[in-house]
Amino acid sequence: MPILVPDINLRIIAPALIVTVTAIVVLLGELVTPAERKRWLGYLSIAGLVVAAFAAFSLWGANASGFSGMVVADNFGLFLTLTIALSAALSILLSIPFIHAHEIDQGEYYVLLLASVAGMIVMATATDLIVIFLGLELLSLPLYILAAFQREDTRSLEAGIKYFLLGAFSSAFFLYGIALVFGATGTTNLAKIAASLAQSAGSPMLSIGVGLLMVGFAFKVALVPFHWWTPDVYDGAPTTVTAFMSVAVKAAAFGAFFRTFQFALPALALDWRAVAAVLAVLTMTLGNVAALLQSNVKRMLAYSSIAHAGYILIALVAMSANGLSSALFYLLAYTVTNLGAFGAVIALSDGARERLEIKDFAGAAREHPLVALALTICLLSLAGFPPFAGFVGKFLIFGAAVETGWAWLAVIGVLNSLVSVYFYLRPVVQMYMSEPAEGWSGIRVAPLVALALLIAVISVIALGVFPAPAIALAAGGLIR
Amino acid sequence: MLTSQFLTYVAFFVLSAIALIGAFLAVTLRNLVRAALGLILSFMGVAGIYFVLEAEFVAIVQVIIYIGAISVLILFAIMLTRGLMTSAASTQNSQWIGAAFVGMLMFAVLFFVAITTNWPLAQPHTISDLIPRLGADLVTTYLLPFEAVSLLLLAALIGAIVIARE
Amino acid sequence: MDILNNLFTNIYNAINAFLNGLLGGAGLRPDAASAIVAAIMGLIVGTVVLLFGVGVVLTLIWLERKVAARVQDRVGPNRVGPFGMLQPVADTIKMFIKEDIVPTNADGLVHLLAPVIALAPAVLAFVVVPFGQGMQPADLNIVVLWVVSVSSIGTVGLFMAGYGSNNKFALLGGMRAVAQAISYEIPQVLTIVPIILLAGSMSLVQIVQKQSTLWYVFVLPVGLIGFVVYYISALAEVNRTPFDQPEGESEIVAGHHTEYSGMKFGLFYLAEYFNFFIVCTIATTLFLGGWQGPFLPSWLWFLIKTYALILLGMWIRMTLPRFRVDQLMKFAWQVLVPISLINIVLTGILLMFFKVG
Repeated sequence: MPILVPDINLRIIAPALIVTVTAIVVLLGELVTPAERKRWLGYLSIAGLVVAAFAAFSLWGANASGFSGMVVADNFGLFLTLTIALSAALSILLSIPFIHAHEIDQGEYYVLLLASVAGMIVMATATDLIVIFLGLELLSLPLYILAAFQREDTRSLEAGIKYFLLGAFSSAFFLYGIALVFGATGTTNLAKIAASLAQSAGSPMLSIGVGLLMVGFAFKVALVPFHWWTPDVYDGAPTTVTAFMSVAVKAAAFGAFFRTFQFALPALALDWRAVAAVLAVLTMTLGNVAALLQSNVKRMLAYSSIAHAGYILIALVAMSANGLSSALFYLLAYTVTNLGAFGAVIALSDGARERLEIKDFAGAAREHPLVALALTICLLSLAGFPPFAGFVGKFLIFGAAVETGWAWLAVIGVLNSLVSVYFYLRPVVQMYMSEPAEGWSGIRVAPLVALALLIAVISVIALGVFPAPAIALAAGGLIR
Repeated sequence: MLTSQFLTYVAFFVLSAIALIGAFLAVTLRNLVRAALGLILSFMGVAGIYFVLEAEFVAIVQVIIYIGAISVLILFAIMLTRGLMTSAASTQNSQWIGAAFVGMLMFAVLFFVAITTNWPLAQPHTISDLIPRLGADLVTTYLLPFEAVSLLLLAALIGAIVIARE
Repeated sequence: MDILNNLFTNIYNAINAFLNGLLGGAGLRPDAASAIVAAIMGLIVGTVVLLFGVGVVLTLIWLERKVAARVQDRVGPNRVGPFGMLQPVADTIKMFIKEDIVPTNADGLVHLLAPVIALAPAVLAFVVVPFGQGMQPADLNIVVLWVVSVSSIGTVGLFMAGYGSNNKFALLGGMRAVAQAISYEIPQVLTIVPIILLAGSMSLVQIVQKQSTLWYVFVLPVGLIGFVVYYISALAEVNRTPFDQPEGESEIVAGHHTEYSGMKFGLFYLAEYFNFFIVCTIATTLFLGGWQGPFLPSWLWFLIKTYALILLGMWIRMTLPRFRVDQLMKFAWQVLVPISLINIVLTGILLMFFKVG
C-alpha cells in the first residue's frame, strides 16, 4: 500500500490548536499546582487565548482552506475566532475570583472552558457539516459540565442535566439533518452542497434535512420555540459560565449557521428566509416580553439573550454582504456588552452570596458608583442606546434588512428594542433611585473583575463612538 | 424475483420488526432494566440490517459499541442507582399528547419524504479492501474530524470525572 | 497424509455434491436449489460445530477435574467409564433431571433468558474459528472483530442473570462480571491490533497463512508481549481463577448463577467452558500459527496447540489464589492497557523501520 499523505496545514487550525494545547497544559499543570495557586492556571489559560488570538490575527486575509476542505481560515471565521477568544479571556478574568469565592476552583474548570473554546473555533471555521457537528458537540459537552460545576448546588446540577438532555436531543436533530442533506446531495462539504444545488432542483428530502439543521442551530442559539432550556440553564449555571455561554456559544453557532445557510444553501433561500423571518419575529417578541416579567437578573439576561438572537437572525434573513458584516459586528458588540453586564452583577455579589434579584440592587450606586455606572452603560448598550456598541450593531442589522427589502422585519426589531428599554432600565432605576435595603459597605470588588469590567466598558464605548475600524474589519469578514 | 432477493426481503422485514419491537419496549416498559434490555434488542435488529446491507464492518462495530459498551454501561449505571431497580415510575407525563402529536407529525413528514423521494439504487459492488480504505480515509480525508472526535472524547472523559468524583 | 489432512473438507464436499445432485434432479429453479443446499449445509455445519463444541466441553470438564486432582495429589473421577471419562456425561444427565428453581421475586423472563444469552455468543464465536486448513465454518474478512463483538454480548447475559435472580449476591456477581469483562476486553482487543498490523488482514485464515514461516508469538518482542497480555486478559474475560471474582464462592456464594439450578445452570456451565475453549483457539490462531505445523494433519496441530493452552490455564487455576477486586481493576487499567498500547506503537515502529512480518 502506498504511503498516504494527508492534507495537513496546521497553520489554518493554529488558533484552535493553540487553545487545545493550552487546555492540555492546564490539565497537566493542575496536577502540580497547589490549591492556593489555582489562579495561575487561569492566567495560563488567558495567555493561551491571547496567543491564539495573535495566531488568528496573523492569518487575517489568508483565505486558506485545508484538511481536504474540512476547515477554512477566512476572515469571517477569524473574526469570530477573535470574538470567541475575547469572550473566553474576559470570562476567565471574571471566573478566577468567582470560582475561588464559591470554592469550586479546580483546574478542570479552565480545561473544560478551553475545550469548549476549541470546539467553538472549530465550529466557526468549519466548512463541512461533519466538522460543524463535531465542533458543536465539542463546544456543548464541556458546557454541560460547566453548567453543573457547582455540584453542591442542586440548581446548578439541574441546569447541567437540563442542558445536557435538551442539547443531546437537539444534536440528534442536527445529525439527522446532516444525514438527509447528505442523502439528497451526496456530500457534507458546504461548497460541494452549494455546487450540487446549483445544478439540480431541491427535493423534499433536502428540505426536511435543511429544516432539521435549522432546528439544531435554533436550539443552540436559543431561538423561539426552541428556547425553553435557556432561562433555567442560564439561571442555574454558575454566573461566570452563564456569561461565557450567553455570548461565545452564540458567536460560534451563528457563525456556522450563517456559513451553512447563506453559503451552502442559497438555492433554497426562498424557503428558509421566510422561516427564519418568522423565527426572528417570534424570538424577539417572546424574548423581550418574557424579560419584562422577570425579577431575577440572570433570568432577565437569559430572556434578553434570546431576544438578541432574534436580532442577529434578521441579519441572516437579509442574506447580504452587509447583513453578514453587521452580524459579525453585532456579535462582537453583544459579547463585550453582555460580559460587562454579567461582570457588574458578579462585582456586586457579596462573597459567595450573589445578589441576583433586581430589588437587591437597591442603592448600589451610593457605595459602588463605578460598578453601577458600568452596569448602566452595558444595559443601555443592550437596549440599543447611542453612543454605545449595541446601538451601532442594531443600526447596522436593521439597515441591512431595509436594504434587502425586509423593512417590516426591521420595524418589528425597532419596536422590540423599545419594549426592551423598560426591563433594562429597571435595575438602573433600583440602583440610582432606591434607598439601600441592606449594607453594601462590606463588598470589595475583586481587582480581576474590575479589570474585566473596565475592558468591557471601554470596548462598549469605543465600539459605540468609533465603530469604523471594527466595522471595516467585519466588512472584510466575508465568507470565502 | 430471485430467491436470494426474496430471502433478503424476509431478513430485512424480520430484522426491522426486531428493531422496532425493541425500540417500543425500550420506551414503554416501566422497569428500567427491562427497558435497557429492549434497547439492546433494538440495537441487535439494526446490526442485523447492516449485515443484510453487506456492511459487515458497520454491523460488527454496532454490536461492539452499542451493545458491548453503551448498553452495558447503561445497565451498569441503572444498577448503581439505588432504588431505581424496583421503581416503576410512569413513563408518561401530562405532555404526552403534545409529544405524540409532534412525533406523529415528524413521522408523517419523513414517511412522505420516504415515499416521494426517487431513491437512486446503488450498483451492487463489493469492495475487497474496504477496511484498509476506511483506515486510510480516517487519517487522510477525515483527519480533522478524527482528531476532533478524540478531543471530544477527552473532554467528555474529564467532564465525567469532574461530575462524578467525590 | 493428504487424506487425513483434508478429511473433513472432503466429507463436506461430498455431502454438498450429493445434495446438489439430489435437488438438481428435482426440477427446481437453479437459484432456489442452491439456496436450499446452502441452507441445509449451513444446518449440517452448525449442528456438527455445536456437537463438537459440546463434546469439547465434556472433555474439558473431565480434564479439569483430572488435572485438579493430580495437582492436589488425588486421583480424581475414576468410577464412571475408563479413567472416569464418562463422569461428565453422568453430570449432564444429573443436570437434565434436576428441578428447575426460580426464586419467587425473580424477574422471570430475564431469569430465563440470561443463560441463553450467555451461551449464544460463545456458539457464534465458534463458527469463525479455522480449525484446520480449509476448515472454517464461516469466513468474513473481518472475523477478528466478529469474535470481539460476539464475546461482548455475553456480558449482557451475565448481567441479566445477576439482575433477574433478585438476589444481592447474584447482583454483586453480575456487576463484578460486567466490570471485569469491560475492563479486560480493552487490553484483549488492543493486543489483537498488532497482529492485524503484522498480517495486514482481519481474516483469521489469512492471519494463519501469514504465519507459515514464523509464528507471531516469536516476532519479538511484540508477539510475545501481545501473547502474554492476551492470554491473561482472556483468562480474566472468561472469569477463570485467578480472575473468578464474579463467582468467588468464599465471598458471594456463586455470583451471578447463585439462583440457577438444573439445565439453566448447565447452560452457564457450558458457556463458561465454551468461552474458555474459544479464547484458547483464538490465541492459537493469532499467536501460535493456528493449524500450521509439520507432519501431522492441520486440524490435529490446531487441537494440540489449543489443548496446550487449556492445560496451561488449568495449571494457573490450580496454582494461583484469587485477586482482590480492586487489584484486579488496577491490574487491567494500569498495567495491561498501557502495555498493550505501547505494544501497538512498537509494532508500528517495527513494521516501518525493520519490515518485520
